[in-house]
Amino acid sequence: MVTQAGAARRSRSKFELYMWFFTRVSGIFMMLMGAYSIIYANLMGGRGVMDAGAQTRWAFFPISFHVSSTKVELTPNFQNPFWQFYSLLLFAFAATHGANGIRVILKDYVRHPVLLAWLNAMVFVLWLAVMGAAVYLIFAAQGA
Amino acid sequence: MSRSARVSIPQALAYRGGQPMLAWLLHRIAGIGIVLFVGMHVFAGFFLYAIPGGTANTIANALTSFYESRPVQVFVLFAVLYHGLNGLRIVVLDMWPSLHRYHREAMWVQWAVFLPIFLIPAFLIALGVKVG
Repeated sequence: MVTQAGAARRSRSKFELYMWFFTRVSGIFMMLMGAYSIIYANLMGGRGVMDAGAQTRWAFFPISFHVSSTKVELTPNFQNPFWQFYSLLLFAFAATHGANGIRVILKDYVRHPVLLAWLNAMVFVLWLAVMGAAVYLIFAAQGA
Repeated sequence: MSRSARVSIPQALAYRGGQPMLAWLLHRIAGIGIVLFVGMHVFAGFFLYAIPGGTANTIANALTSFYESRPVQVFVLFAVLYHGLNGLRIVVLDMWPSLHRYHREAMWVQWAVFLPIFLIPAFLIALGVKVG
């Protein structure tokens, strides 16, 4: 009994350690990937035709229809598997980073363990749903 | 772990944590804001493209025009930039703990970097300046 509880606590703290590490790594990766998106979009003809809002939006989701009003030549430069995978990776980092953050905040404020478990389950379902939406938008809604 | 801490709202408001408390609070508000607004925007985009027409589209259109309104754009810009830069400061101080001697200076450096790269695009977005 005691060893089981100890093992559960150990694996729990391992999970916390992994999520702590993931939060740091994904945060740094999101910044680098966002910077690369902006630089590449500007090199590919966005310079002078993208307004400030389009520049900032492009950082997060560099995929064809996101900033269709900016006159960047999308078809050869961004509608390809590399940028689809890039967007999916960036989005997966962001969604997981955010869902984990909400989990930590809930743990701070929700004292009732059963309510906390339900809320965590809801966060997990929302994470799955938003990942599904992103997969659809990246891979299926092309050219829509 | 605040599981055992019971702090009343007046007590919480009277707590004067200064700069570190402000950074923690803004980090948390910005994080929740990004999850709310960007998550909502992704779902709205999904409904716009996946279900052409129908009642879901009206809601998705309303959410999209809300997201694209200037105050929300400026807030999302603030949230993303502040959360990113503050997170970078935390990562750097965690990575090199000896730098904790200068943690106050690090906050001022953070503001010095944050304010120009937030305010210039924020003004351009708020004034609706178009290029090209």
